[in-house]
Amino acid sequence: MKTIGKSVIRKEAEDKVTGKAKYTDDKYAGDLKVLHGRLLTSPYAHARIKSVNTEEAWKVRGVRAIITGEGLPLTGEEIRDRPPIAVDKVRYHGEVVALVVADDPVIAKRAVSYINVEYDLLPVVNSPTEAVQEGAPLVHENVEEYDRDEDIHPIPRSNISNQMKIRKGNMEQGWSLSEVTIESNFSFSPSDHTAMETRCAVCEIKADGYVHIETSSQAPFMVKKLISAYFDIEVGKIVVDTPLVGGGYGGKASVFQEILAYIASKAVGGRAVKVLHSREEDMITTPCHVGLDAQIKLGATRNGKLKAARIQYLFDGGAYSDKAVHLSRAGGVDCTGPYEIEHIWCDSYAVYTNHPFASPYRGFSHSEVLFAFERAMDILAQELNMDPLHLRRINAIGPGDLTPTQVRLNRSNVGNVVECIDRVKELSKWDEGKIEEINERIIRVKGAACLWKNSTIPPDSVSGAILTFNEDGSINLISGVVEIGTGTKTVLAQMLAERLKMDIDQIHVRMKVDTQTTPEHWKTVASRGTFMAGRALLEAANDVICQLKEITATVLRSRVDDLDIGDQRVFLKEDPSIGLHFKEIAHGYTYPNGNSIGGQIIGRGNYILQRMTYLDQETGRGNPGPEWSVGAQVVEVEFDRRDYTYRVVKLYTVLDVGKVLNFMAARGQVTGAASMGLAFASRETFLFDDLGRVLNPQLRTYRPIHYKEHPEYIVEFVETPHIDAPFGARGVGEQGLLGIPAALGNGLSTAANVSLNQLPLIPELIWRTKEGK
Amino acid sequence: MIPFDFEYYKPKTIQESVDLFQTLTEEGKHPVFFSGGTEIITLGRINHLYTEAVIDIRDIPACKVMEFDEHYLYLGAGRSLTEIEDANYFPLLTATSKEIADHTARNKITLGGNICANIFYREAVLPLLISDSQVFIGGPEGIKAEPIMRIFDKKLQLKEGEFLIQICTERKYLGVPYVTVKKRKQGDTGYPLITVAVLKIDENINVAISGLCPFPFRSEQMETYLNNSNYSIKERIDLAVKHIPDPILSDTEGSSEYRLFVLKNTLLDCLTELERGNM
Repeated sequence: MKTIGKSVIRKEAEDKVTGKAKYTDDKYAGDLKVLHGRLLTSPYAHARIKSVNTEEAWKVRGVRAIITGEGLPLTGEEIRDRPPIAVDKVRYHGEVVALVVADDPVIAKRAVSYINVEYDLLPVVNSPTEAVQEGAPLVHENVEEYDRDEDIHPIPRSNISNQMKIRKGNMEQGWSLSEVTIESNFSFSPSDHTAMETRCAVCEIKADGYVHIETSSQAPFMVKKLISAYFDIEVGKIVVDTPLVGGGYGGKASVFQEILAYIASKAVGGRAVKVLHSREEDMITTPCHVGLDAQIKLGATRNGKLKAARIQYLFDGGAYSDKAVHLSRAGGVDCTGPYEIEHIWCDSYAVYTNHPFASPYRGFSHSEVLFAFERAMDILAQELNMDPLHLRRINAIGPGDLTPTQVRLNRSNVGNVVECIDRVKELSKWDEGKIEEINERIIRVKGAACLWKNSTIPPDSVSGAILTFNEDGSINLISGVVEIGTGTKTVLAQMLAERLKMDIDQIHVRMKVDTQTTPEHWKTVASRGTFMAGRALLEAANDVICQLKEITATVLRSRVDDLDIGDQRVFLKEDPSIGLHFKEIAHGYTYPNGNSIGGQIIGRGNYILQRMTYLDQETGRGNPGPEWSVGAQVVEVEFDRRDYTYRVVKLYTVLDVGKVLNFMAARGQVTGAASMGLAFASRETFLFDDLGRVLNPQLRTYRPIHYKEHPEYIVEFVETPHIDAPFGARGVGEQGLLGIPAALGNGLSTAANVSLNQLPLIPELIWRTKEGK
Repeated sequence: MIPFDFEYYKPKTIQESVDLFQTLTEEGKHPVFFSGGTEIITLGRINHLYTEAVIDIRDIPACKVMEFDEHYLYLGAGRSLTEIEDANYFPLLTATSKEIADHTARNKITLGGNICANIFYREAVLPLLISDSQVFIGGPEGIKAEPIMRIFDKKLQLKEGEFLIQICTERKYLGVPYVTVKKRKQGDTGYPLITVAVLKIDENINVAISGLCPFPFRSEQMETYLNNSNYSIKERIDLAVKHIPDPILSDTEGSSEYRLFVLKNTLLDCLTELERGNM
C-alpha cells in the first residue's frame, strides 16, 4: 500500500504549530458585537437555595441579563434530571446558580461577584458507597419520575439512576469449580480531563428564528438534536459549527456550554453571546471524569483457570446522570478483562452523589473497570503463586469464546490477546524478573495488565461522507468527524488517497464541521472515527470511482470494467496512456464541438452500525458493539523502599490495532493515551472535603503531568484485521490508556509488598497503606 | 481575567514610591507594591486579592542591583528568579529557586515578590535565612537595613508603606557546603510538601524549612538539637522535630503525619550528605 501505514503529517499541523489554528474562542476574539456570559457557581455541594439577590449586580453598567433557574427545561442526554441553572437547590460544588450576560467579560464577571445567594446546607452524599447505604440522603427525590430514554433502569427512592446486570453461566457451579478465590475492593474519586482548550460556545438566534451555535464539542450533531428537544425548536433551524477542538477526551461529548449560550442569547433578544468557561469551571462545573467503587470476587482452579467472577461496580456519576447511565452500561459490557470466564455475575450501577457529574472519559469506563479487574487478577496470581502474565495468557479470550454479554467471538471481532501478551513480555524482558535490586533503597519493578474495549455506542449510530471536486481534479473531503487532535481527518484522506491511488496532497480536508452542510457523524468518540467515517468514506470513494468510470467509458467508448483509476486519471487497463484526467471529467466532459455530458461529480457514502442489539435487561445478553480491540501493557518503575516514592521509567504497550493506518499518528495516540493513563493512575484526582467540596479545582493544586516528567514510551502493534473495518483497522484512540492504572497499581503493589487498591497512587497512599495509617 | 480595574505606576526612585503609596492610600485605593505581578494575576482573577493601584518597583535602580562589593553580594528585590539563577552568584539560592514554579513563571517572579508573596511557601527566603542575610527596606522613614532573622517572622514584617529593596549576603556564605531539597506530593512540579535548605558554616549547620507549616521558618531551637554531636543524626532529628512551630500543615498536598515522615527522611539525607563533606 502506498499511503496507508505511512506517517503522513496531519493536514492541520502547520496551522497548529504556528499558532494560527482557530478554536471557538479565537474566532470571536475582539468581536464587539458578541456579548459575554459568565457564571455564578455554587460554593457548596448540597444546599437549598434560600434566596438569590441580583439587585447590586444589575447596577453594574453594561449588564444585559441576569438569568436564574426558574422556567428552564430539564436537560440530560439519557435522563432529563438537570436544570441548566440550579432551581431550589444545588447538588454539586460548582453547579451553575446564575448566568450574567454583559457587554464584555470583565463586566459580566464583576456583576457575578455582586450577586448574593443564601444557602441552607443539606447533608452530603460524598461517595457512591455512601449513596447506596440505607437511609442515605437522596440527591434526587424522585429519580423514577424524570423523562428518560428506554433501556434505563433507575431504582425508585434511591440514588441509583441505572442498574445494568450481567448474568452469564451459573454462579453456584462457578464457585464449586473454584479451588482458589480472592475478593477485594477498589476505588477512586472523580477527576478531570484537563483538555488544553476550556469549553466555549457562542450562540446567536437570528431574526428568522435560526439558531447558530459555534462550539468546542465532540458532538455537534447531538448539540443540534438536544437543543431542539429541550427548547422545542425545529431541528433544521439549528445550525452547529465546530472548528478545531483543543482536546476532548470525552469531556466535550457532553452537551453543556451550548445550553447556557442558547439561554443567554435568548435572554438578550437573540444577540450573539459567548460562554467561555474558566479553567476552574471547566474542571468542576462542566462534566468530569467518573469515579468508581468496585468489589470483585474471582474464583479459579489451582492451575489458574478462571471459573467465576462476581462483580459490583458503583460508578460515581455525580449530581446528574448525563452519561453516567451509559458509562455504567459500558462498564458492565466489558466488566472483566479480556478473559474467558464461564460464570459471571455483575451489577453495574450509575449512582448519584453530590460530586461534579460525569461525562465520558477516554476509554469510556474501561480504564476504570480494568483498574479494578486487572488488580484483582494480580491478587489472584499472587494467591496462586503464578506469574501474573502467565495467568492472563492461559485465560485469554479468543475466537470461539463467549463474552460477558454472550457474544460468540470470531477471528475478526476480537484481536489477539495472546500475541499481545507474548510481545509485551519480550519487549519488557518480563522473564528476567519482576523485581531488580538497584541498591539498598531502590528497586526496579514491573507491573502488567491486559486490556480490551468494545464501543457500546447506540446500535443505530451513523456516519456520512461527501466528496466534491475542484477544477484541477483535486478532491474535497467532507466528513462529520470533529478534529479533536487525533488526526482522524488526515487518516481519512490517506484512505481516500489509497483507494483512488492518488497523491494525498491533492485531497483537501474540510476541518470544520457544520451540521447544515456536513453529513452527520454520530459523535467523535469511542475510537470510532476511522471505522465509521472510514466506511462512509470508502463508500463515497467507490461512488466517485463509478461515476468517473461511467463518464470515461462514454468518452473513450470502452466498457466500465476495462477502466482503472490512478494518479487522478481514469484510463484503459490495457493501455494506461489512453485516459482522462479528473479535471477533464469531474465537472462534466465537453466534446470538441461543445456538447457536454456528465456534470459535477459528487461522491456520497454513509455507514450505519450493523447487527448491534439492545442488551437484555435481566442478563445483559446482546451484541453491544462491532469489535474488541485488545492489548497488553507493562509499567516499569523505580521504587524507593524507604520513602515510598517512585519514578516511572518505561511504559510498554502492545496493541492489536488490526492495521496501522498512519504509524506516527497511531503511536502518538498510544503514547498520549498512556501518559493520560499515567496521570490518572499516579496523580490526578479531585480531593473532597467532608462537605463534598472540591479542594483542588485549579491547576496549582491539580497537577497533570508536566512536559519533563514523561517516561519512555515503547509501543508496538499487532495486526489482526477486523474484517468489517476500513483496511482492517481497529480503534486506537483510547486503548493506550486502559491498562496503565492497573499495571502501575500492580507494579507498585509488588514493589511495596502491599495491596494498593486506590487511585491515584501517590507516595502518601503507599506510605499509609504500608504503615497501616 | 481580572475583574477589577487598577492604576499602574512605575516610579523611578524609592522616595517617589513611598510618596505614591501614601497618596494612593489616602485616596482609598489600597495600593500594593508590584514586581513580577504573578500573584496580582492569579489571585486577582479569583477575587483573592483586590487593589485599585499597583506600584511597580522594578525601575528603581536599587531594586535592580546584582553585584558584589568587598564583603557582600547585593541582590535587588526586582530581579527575576531566572536572572538570579543565570548569574548564579549564590549557588544555594540558585538551587532552591530552580524548584519554584516553572521556568516561564520564574521569568516573571522576582526575588522580592517571592519573599513577600501571599502564597506562603516563599521558598526563595530559605537560603537567605540560613545565610544570615541583611535586608534593605524602604518606607516612610527612609531606608533601613535589618538582619533578615530579626525581621522575618513567618513573613517579612513590613510596616504599612514599606517595601523590600534588596538583600545582601556576606560573601563567606556563598561558597559553603549546602543541600537543598524539595519534596513534593508527586512529580517534579508544583508546591512542596517540604522544602529544606541546609548549609554548613564553621562546623555548624543552619536549616530553614518551607511547606511544613503555613510559613517558612528557621528555628534556632531545632538547630541546637541538629548540631548536638553527642547524638546520632537520627536521634538529633527526632529531638529537633519535637520543636517544630505550630501548626504542621495538613492539606491537599499531604497530611501532617506524612509531612513529618518526609521531613525526617529529608533531614536525614541532608545531614548525612553534609556530614560526609560532600556538596
